[in-house]
Amino acid sequence: MGKKVLIVDDSSTMRKIVTRSLRQAGLDFDKILEAGDGQEALTMLQAEPVDLILSDINMPNMDGLSFLREKAGNPAIKDIPVIMISTETGADILNEAKSLGAVGSIKKPFKPEQVNEIIGNLI
Amino acid sequence: MNLADIIAESTKEIFSSMVMMEVTEGAPKANIVTRLTNSISGTVGLGGSYKGMIAIHIPEPVALAITTNFLGLEVESIDDDVQDAVGELANMLAGNVKAALSEGGSDIKLSLPSTVFGDEYTFQCMDDGDIVIMPFNCEQGEFLVDLRLRAEN
Repeated sequence: MGKKVLIVDDSSTMRKIVTRSLRQAGLDFDKILEAGDGQEALTMLQAEPVDLILSDINMPNMDGLSFLREKAGNPAIKDIPVIMISTETGADILNEAKSLGAVGSIKKPFKPEQVNEIIGNLI
Repeated sequence: MNLADIIAESTKEIFSSMVMMEVTEGAPKANIVTRLTNSISGTVGLGGSYKGMIAIHIPEPVALAITTNFLGLEVESIDDDVQDAVGELANMLAGNVKAALSEGGSDIKLSLPSTVFGDEYTFQCMDDGDIVIMPFNCEQGEFLVDLRLRAEN
């Protein structure tokens, strides 16, 4: 069965860039889903579980840390790995994301090879 | 590293790695720029241990070229894609400035990006504290990165 990834970012530009970077990095996802915030991501995951989630931190409605918190409390989706893709690089915030279950982070701006390096090991 | 160096390095890194465009910085402007014509401005506010904002002001033809490169699709006017792309540029600039000012990250909060555009508009923000307005050049013309910052004790 093909692998699926969910990109969670309020910026449509960034969702396009991440999608392009996954393809440029040669990462083999059969389906790429997109959500504009954490709440929309939770709704989508109820209907269609994925193999990997790439999530921004600063978003309207439900931010990335709140999304991680909600996801951790839902047995159906809590084990899906999440990588944060964000402008946030502070240790306090990234440590909180890690404590809530994030398995890695990519700083914006990034190059496709960085995406490959971090995500390639997980799929 | 001073604020002008932070802006120069951040802007060049963002354009080189994400927009696939090389830009070169000019000398910071001596005067505050308030009146903009046929342009789009993307802005992110900073709060907490530093207050202020960072903005990027881009003339429309340059914004269209940047968005075309950034997204890999042709755009002909300032539409939702251009507004989102310019907002995301401001967001990444703000993230880099925050990273340079705060080790932990939780003492400075960033707003979500916003954009304004038009044939002619006035851009007003705090005019005390540290102000750096730096021009950048690319093949299609010049744009400005505008940082206004005040440390809160």
